[in-house]
Amino acid sequence: MKTVKILHMYADMLDLYGDSGNMEVIGYRCRMRGIDCQVDTYSIDSEMPDFASYDLIYIGGGADLEQQHISADLLKCREGIKKAYESGTFLFLICGGYQLMGKYYRDADGNDIPGLGLFDYFTVAPDSRKLRCIGNIVIRTTFTGETVDMVGFENHGGQTQGVKTPLGEVLCGNGNCSKSKYEGYFEKNVIATYSHGPCLSKNPEIADYMISYCVNRGSDEKTELKKLDDTLEKQCRQVMLDRLLSK
Amino acid sequence: MNRLLIIIGKIIVGVLRLLGRNAGNLPGIVLWHLTRGKCCKMFKVDCPIIAVTGTNGKTSVTNCIAQLFEQSGKKIIINKEGNNLDTGICSLLLRHCDMSGKVDADYLILETDESHVPVVYSQQKLETLVVLNFFRDQLDRNGEMETLIQKINGFCKTFSGNLILNGDDPNTARLGRANPDNKNVKYFHAEPYAFATKEIFEASEGRFCPFCGEALEYDYYQYSHIGKFRCNNCGFGNNEPYMTAKDIDLEKPVFTADGHEYSPKLNSIYNVYNMTAVASAAKLYNISSEVTENVINNYTVNNGRMESFMLGDRHATLNLAKNPVGANMTLRVMNEMQGEKELLFVLNDNVADGLDVSWIWDINFSIFERVTRVVTSGTRAYDIAVRIKCSGYDASKIVVKPDLDEAVEELARTEGRKFVIANYTAVQPTRSALKRYIEKHGGEHNENG
Repeated sequence: MKTVKILHMYADMLDLYGDSGNMEVIGYRCRMRGIDCQVDTYSIDSEMPDFASYDLIYIGGGADLEQQHISADLLKCREGIKKAYESGTFLFLICGGYQLMGKYYRDADGNDIPGLGLFDYFTVAPDSRKLRCIGNIVIRTTFTGETVDMVGFENHGGQTQGVKTPLGEVLCGNGNCSKSKYEGYFEKNVIATYSHGPCLSKNPEIADYMISYCVNRGSDEKTELKKLDDTLEKQCRQVMLDRLLSK
Repeated sequence: MNRLLIIIGKIIVGVLRLLGRNAGNLPGIVLWHLTRGKCCKMFKVDCPIIAVTGTNGKTSVTNCIAQLFEQSGKKIIINKEGNNLDTGICSLLLRHCDMSGKVDADYLILETDESHVPVVYSQQKLETLVVLNFFRDQLDRNGEMETLIQKINGFCKTFSGNLILNGDDPNTARLGRANPDNKNVKYFHAEPYAFATKEIFEASEGRFCPFCGEALEYDYYQYSHIGKFRCNNCGFGNNEPYMTAKDIDLEKPVFTADGHEYSPKLNSIYNVYNMTAVASAAKLYNISSEVTENVINNYTVNNGRMESFMLGDRHATLNLAKNPVGANMTLRVMNEMQGEKELLFVLNDNVADGLDVSWIWDINFSIFERVTRVVTSGTRAYDIAVRIKCSGYDASKIVVKPDLDEAVEELARTEGRKFVIANYTAVQPTRSALKRYIEKHGGEHNENG
């Protein structure tokens, strides 16, 4: 089987709320199936990689200061990332990574930090730093072909607007904006979300959706992924669903 | 006005006591509202104030510094219960002042929450500030760490008192440059111990120079981002040490500092750092070497900080881990111990824990050595189980028991050495469960580790 190639961008700077754990989950689920998984890292001033040679590009979330640090560097990668995305590389984006792929991020002082503009949405910071969307979140998704109620943890000030194809419906929590109906952004090769946790830890179906995409990318026959024992993960999610949805 | 406020405060303290309640924080909260946030200002404190802050180790270091003075025959006031916000300190002073607000003591030794250092010490004159370290700790509750450092840095810009800083933590050492005119900045260090590494292997902060943005170079890492660092571009980190721990041997455990040999009771590298901070304060205040040795050599902790239990004939050690650094340290202590052992990890997500449990993904479980079984418990028992599983640990050796009594029974079922890690709100329930096991099945509880 082919090697799954992943580029983890700014791993040393954007790693809030266990976001790097998503790479551990993907690595673990590949390893258990005998799929080779290679995770390369890119950070500020690294040599410009061939983005399109990767099956998946991953960007996590960071504190405001770190996000400002990387935004200029990320703009330098714009063409490469755009080309990769257009040629089918999967983009997996959390929080800051999600915001930076949109048109812009308008901070609390009204200054616009330009995004890569790959997608139409944009993000506006609330007037007060204290107005943050913080807490456990449940998102009902159907993109895997079955209904998966994703459980995660959101913590963002930015209000993301103009999303036409969200990741799922909010059953508990805030989502893209304060008390909004939808969360995240989805395309067949894009998952963008505010959900930390890390988001894949309790949602193995989402991890497998991406692994399956990567494994089957560019091949004519579809390879089914070997089933893993996800009892712990599913119980973990169920405990939270019981708690959050019974309110 | 002051007098009236103090009378009101004292009445609240009195009423709470009559009701059999601890007046640790509530009187301060009431006065905070009455004074519009300046609840520490009305006291007349003529003696020196020494404050201790930082993410980990505040309580230990505050208690030890208090003992330095107490054993030297001084009258001290200390916030022992860890009420370390402005309201807690106000409540403490209310209990110790006369009707005019005068506080009678030789020294005030105050554990102070990181975010409250500027708040409290803009109202009362601080003589000495000890800063231990800055780590990620419950980010969603406290705000981001950089904001926190900026707050204390802002305070240090105009502070010209004694500043005792961990010189091996770039997040802390940077405060030494906040006020270039302050000649009273003193750095403490520790030479590498047996498990120091050349490469970092735990998630951490401060990889870049805060002054010029250059990546920091390390000669060695002790744990997390603590170690001998320097910036090759601007020279940040090249500080003259005031106190250095040397010849560290945690097997015994012993270390030397300033020519004195110490034999502490606790065998962790973070205790060495804490005690080096204590030795620095002792040197600054000319405490006799007998007293300093006595304090450092006899200091132990309870309340879930390396506490010992005998579950029948099985030896268990309980340790609090409220953040990844604390947990990584405990895992190291466990690994460094010979022989096989089993781990019980109790994880809660109550409000005081910070609600979010993703910090467990910053714990490096891949270093597990000779850990034959893991039991998990607490309100987020499954989260910690999944985390340990994904680090590559054999899932068939993980037992999830959300109920604490069942978890302790499960842990004690097999022979061998046991280790227990519990996060903030899980510590007391875990202690109680361990004690209940001992009552039921026999054993022993030794509060002094």
